[in-house]
Amino acid sequence: MRLAFATIALATALAVPAAAEQVTGTPAGNFKLTDMSGRTVELAQFKGKTVVLEWNNPGCPFVQKHYNSGNMQKTQAAARAQGAVWLTINSGAPGKQGYMTGPEAQAFVAKEKATPTNYLLDPRGVVGKGYGAKTTPQMFIIDAKGTLVYQGGIDDKPTANTADIATARNHVTAALDEMKAGKPVSVAESRPYGCSVKYPES
Amino acid sequence: MRLVSFIVVTLLALIAWPAAAQAPGQRHIAIDLVAESDRPAAGSEVTLAFVSRPQAGWHGYWRNPGDAGVETQAAWTLPAGVTAGPIVYPVPHRLLIAGLMNYVYEGPFTQFVTLTVPAGLAAGTALPIAVKLDYLVCTNEICVPESASLATTLTVGDGAVTAERRAEFDGWRRAIPKPLGSPATFAVDGDRFRLAVPFPAAAAAKDVYFFPITDGVIDYAAPQSVTRDGDLLMIETKAKPGRHPTLEGVLHTGDGQGFSLTAAPGAVAAPAPAMAWNAALIAFAGAVLGGLILNVMPCVFPILSLKALSLAKANAAEGKAEAIAYTLGVVLVCVALGGVLLALRAGGASVGWAFQLQDPRVILVLLLLVTGIAFNLAGLFELAAPGMANRMAASGRGGAFMTGALAAFVATPCTGPFMGAALGAALVLPWWGALAVFAGLGLGLALPFLLIAFIPALRRRLPKPGAWMETMRRILSVPMFLTALALAWVLGKQAGVDGMTIGLAAATLLAAGLWWTGLRQAKGRALAWLPGTVAAVIALAAVGAITRAPPAQAGVAASGAEPFSEARLAELRAAGRPVFAYFTADWCVTCKVNEKAVIETAAVRDALAKGEVAVLVGDWTDGDPVLGRFISAHNRAGVPLYLWYTNGRPKPEVLPQLLTQAMLTGRAGS
Repeated sequence: MRLAFATIALATALAVPAAAEQVTGTPAGNFKLTDMSGRTVELAQFKGKTVVLEWNNPGCPFVQKHYNSGNMQKTQAAARAQGAVWLTINSGAPGKQGYMTGPEAQAFVAKEKATPTNYLLDPRGVVGKGYGAKTTPQMFIIDAKGTLVYQGGIDDKPTANTADIATARNHVTAALDEMKAGKPVSVAESRPYGCSVKYPES
Repeated sequence: MRLVSFIVVTLLALIAWPAAAQAPGQRHIAIDLVAESDRPAAGSEVTLAFVSRPQAGWHGYWRNPGDAGVETQAAWTLPAGVTAGPIVYPVPHRLLIAGLMNYVYEGPFTQFVTLTVPAGLAAGTALPIAVKLDYLVCTNEICVPESASLATTLTVGDGAVTAERRAEFDGWRRAIPKPLGSPATFAVDGDRFRLAVPFPAAAAAKDVYFFPITDGVIDYAAPQSVTRDGDLLMIETKAKPGRHPTLEGVLHTGDGQGFSLTAAPGAVAAPAPAMAWNAALIAFAGAVLGGLILNVMPCVFPILSLKALSLAKANAAEGKAEAIAYTLGVVLVCVALGGVLLALRAGGASVGWAFQLQDPRVILVLLLLVTGIAFNLAGLFELAAPGMANRMAASGRGGAFMTGALAAFVATPCTGPFMGAALGAALVLPWWGALAVFAGLGLGLALPFLLIAFIPALRRRLPKPGAWMETMRRILSVPMFLTALALAWVLGKQAGVDGMTIGLAAATLLAAGLWWTGLRQAKGRALAWLPGTVAAVIALAAVGAITRAPPAQAGVAASGAEPFSEARLAELRAAGRPVFAYFTADWCVTCKVNEKAVIETAAVRDALAKGEVAVLVGDWTDGDPVLGRFISAHNRAGVPLYLWYTNGRPKPEVLPQLLTQAMLTGRAGS
């Protein structure tokens, strides 16, 4: 298994702090990960398309809030319908809550009737830490030019209560709609909420 | 009839169902809702407590949960007119899991909510209070969002609080952050965040940490470095990108105690590099000079002479290489000694010893050290093992580097005087300054050797070892005794006459022990060091007896003030005296500024005396809950609070937090 985390250009490598978070409005760091079928997937291969990253841990009640209610699947379907790429990423370490092997991830996607473009496995947490992913769920949107245009929570109601979804502002859907209309993303950052990403103890 | 009973059963089931689903045994945090008074008065406030006990291994979250987690939400069901304030949280703990920071409670904790009861309710009116709390509870591995539905019924009454309930609430209240009362300043410079908090140099603080309430200002998982510079406490850590108009947070100052503060953007000096560089340069130059003087110490000079002779025999190139190797050896050993000392200091700081000159115990230790050094220089006793040092140095085994290292190391006991000075400096300087002092000492020690190797003409001018060295040593004892005298004066200022007397007694005891050791050394007795060591241990035990003289009391005595109590206030008011009551704390800079610049000035003191104004002082340094209640009864969350009671008026006048002399002299004269 090859894991690599590199910035798109060497020039920007200096501007992006290593092993820290990504800065909104600047080029998003490239990465390579193994997907649930064992193939290698690289962020750079989706250049020219909008990419949504979703950090996932199926055991986390906040993730369950959005999957059990169908909210995450609905958000995914709307994004895919607009031509966006959706990559679900699991940075859980082996032995910790939510860690999945490739076949387990396939089963999860099938059971939840989810429609991500792909489900990527990051058991060493390299990409998660490179993106400063702290919670599940946590969302990132990268535009066709490779610029990070949104990072934060899926919506603005930081609770585990499914009933709150109806009245919440879905930041991802809103950003994608604004991007489609050629407008700048009005909420480019929000505070993510949920369980902590179950990184390996370093 | 059947329909009615069906409805009743359904309703009962609906009511019972949530209760069954939330049996306390199934939750990971057991929460009780307790009111400070079960009979709050109409038109008043009553404090409610959520007494929470997480199961072992589980933790609840602070208002700002950190990198992950969520804040507790409360949904209230209250009678008309009754309102509930926000949840007030006790000082949290830090929990770093796999590089993510969590602000949590790992043990029992109690949150407060202030409930306002409207005026005009008849006594005996029932007030049913219900709340649904949504909160997150986690282990290091998993998280569970939980809900707790809590209810109690209060009755409008006289606001009486039972003694038992009051004691419970006062205990919980101690964990709630106190308002600092002085505005802090923060600055973001690139990815560095700096916070300057006014915090008096004399106030104790350990395990200092800033818990931010405002999100997105700092990187929670990044370590925070804390420095104290006079009345400022500075915290530096990693900033997050973005600008913030204001910053709220809680400053932890040890033992679960904390202060809530608000900071505005402003200039925060980086730990003054220019000044520190100057200071470090002066310390370095002093250390080089000290090292140079070390060369004429009786146990070091012979080594130098021997090495100088061996250099004279060698050719110039070899001599230079040997001199550089020797210098490296000396400097490295000195820096290593400094490193050991810094490690000890770090160990001490982690258990709460602040090595500051403001601490009388540190002054006492320095006093004993300097006294010992001075008596050594005066010849009362000897430290060296010169024979061994000479043999090592003369043999030349292991090369010049090892010789230098050995010379510095073996000669350490008799370099004591200046090592002692460096030791004292190292305890109070920043780490790099301390290392510079030790490096300078080594460089100074090696300097003559370097000069001789590089300027051969100097070899002939080298003085011969002789009795003049002993005379030199005696003369050097004079500045050391003067240093001891200065330290005794500082000790007297800090710990009072009693403290100074204890310090001088300890120094006398040490001197007697060392004298005895010196006598045994002169007669060549075995175990010569026993009396000196015993005396040193007993003298150091005096540290425990030294306490800081409370400076507030000195001020109080001067202005004729008395400690505040509500009983004393009532007594003075009954006697028809105007009263000026002020509330202060050792950690409140604004309070201290007002006291120095206004309250304790001669003009104000005279005016108060002339107007026969009684002065009462409430000291809230340890967060006394009785004073706390009195302060909050005047719509203040904390100190400073200044109250002026005029004859014939039932309510006091609350003076501004920034006093002027005119405010007090004007009122005293009217």
